[in-house]
Amino acid sequence: MRIIDVHTHPVFGTKATPAQLQRWIDHGRRHHIVHMIVLGDVLLFGPTPNAAQLRHINDDTARAARLFPDYFTAFCYLNPLLGERAVMREVERCVAQPGFRGIKLEIANNAAHPCMRHVAKAARTFNLPVLQHSWSVVNIRNSQHQSDPSTTALFARRNPDVKIIMAHLTGIGFRGVLEAKGLPNLYVDTSGGFPEEGLIEYAAEHLGADHVLYGSDLPIRENSVTIGRILGARISAADKQRMLFGNTARLLNLPLN
Amino acid sequence: MLIDTNANLGPWPFTPVPDRPARAFAAHLAANGIRRALVSHLGAVFLPDPMPANRQLFAAVRRTPALLPVPILNPALRTWPEQLAECRAAAPLRAVKLLPNYHNYNLRAAHLTEFMAALAAAKLRLVLNVRLEDERHKYFAMRLKGVPVKQLAQFLERFPKHHVLFTGIYKGEVEQLAPKHENFSVEISFCETTNCLELMLPKFPARRLMLGTCTPLLSTRGEVDKLRGAHIPARAKELIGSTNAQRFFGL
Repeated sequence: MRIIDVHTHPVFGTKATPAQLQRWIDHGRRHHIVHMIVLGDVLLFGPTPNAAQLRHINDDTARAARLFPDYFTAFCYLNPLLGERAVMREVERCVAQPGFRGIKLEIANNAAHPCMRHVAKAARTFNLPVLQHSWSVVNIRNSQHQSDPSTTALFARRNPDVKIIMAHLTGIGFRGVLEAKGLPNLYVDTSGGFPEEGLIEYAAEHLGADHVLYGSDLPIRENSVTIGRILGARISAADKQRMLFGNTARLLNLPLN
Repeated sequence: MLIDTNANLGPWPFTPVPDRPARAFAAHLAANGIRRALVSHLGAVFLPDPMPANRQLFAAVRRTPALLPVPILNPALRTWPEQLAECRAAAPLRAVKLLPNYHNYNLRAAHLTEFMAALAAAKLRLVLNVRLEDERHKYFAMRLKGVPVKQLAQFLERFPKHHVLFTGIYKGEVEQLAPKHENFSVEISFCETTNCLELMLPKFPARRLMLGTCTPLLSTRGEVDKLRGAHIPARAKELIGSTNAQRFFGL
């Protein structure tokens, strides 16, 4: 079994040393994870980092990918509220370095905000997928910053030529799966939350197993649990393998044999 | 052999989880390595009187020895003594379960003194459920929080001779309670972070942790793999996976 984890934060809280990164690699390998996507320490400076703070976070991410290029792929973290010039400049700076293959968005704004057009432009220009933190705002009620699955789906509908990953299957829930249904450019990752029963099967049924990507949200969640919920799901072995490895390898065009 | 200390029969109204008959439920657990399970009935969560669901539980597990019934009682009901008696007559009992938040009473309530005395007299263990769901994902019309950790602490202080099993408790809540209280054990289904058990063990002894899956609300395989995949000594896995439950429930 080979697994790619599309949603990790191995640099979290403190600057990761090479030894700490190696420990995360050892940890991943114990769980058959052959590759991790590093999304950065995205809340290090709060929900709306400035340009310098973004560079700090992305430089830490770049360092992980540079030190261990076979194991870590980097996503460029952005604050869309900083505007088109800042967004384009930071993405251009990131993709000039080895290992960057995507854009990460957290909670600076919700995905329906007009500033998201700058992100879409950057994604189109540099041919990068966008991973958007998403969570149902029904109970957490912070729709200014949190992207409800309906807003992430709106972003996908507005930009059908951009590939978008709606993060956190448990956070978006059954309603979120239905919001994502029928959008070929929209994928869902399985990271975040407890392994609530039935969601993997529901996502496979409504989105197709080829639109579901394994993610953990390391170091917040447990890899054995997040992998086990897929291995224990009532879907075919082939679909499990697509979710755990093939879909992300294909989406990011990862050179993994 | 694994023992699941937090499993449930019956339907759940808010999400499409499998409602398996007892034999199929036991087979599902066995397929995940669980040979015995302490089982309650989800119907008792919402009924004004939990006994119809408890009766369904007793009837369902009668011919399935792998499933050990843990009826849910509501000590805020005046009739709890006769309901406890009915449960004890229905099947050999090892424990009863309380759901203070779902049944709308505070753990400081006076009636719990008599209730805990009755449990002690009957040599029954208490399982106290802190939550059944992540608060962020509840049905929109159900504004219900987990039992406050302050109430759990007061309860442990008030009944120091009782050793309680908390189910559905978060790791952070365990860490708040652990320094001051030793009369509780923890079922681990809602304890989660990367390397969760490895991080918990230095602060909380393995002899007070027990496997629980919260099936069918959570993924059975996921919860079992939390223990199987943990980077902790084999002896600790054995304690958490079965030995502690055997000791606590007298299995």
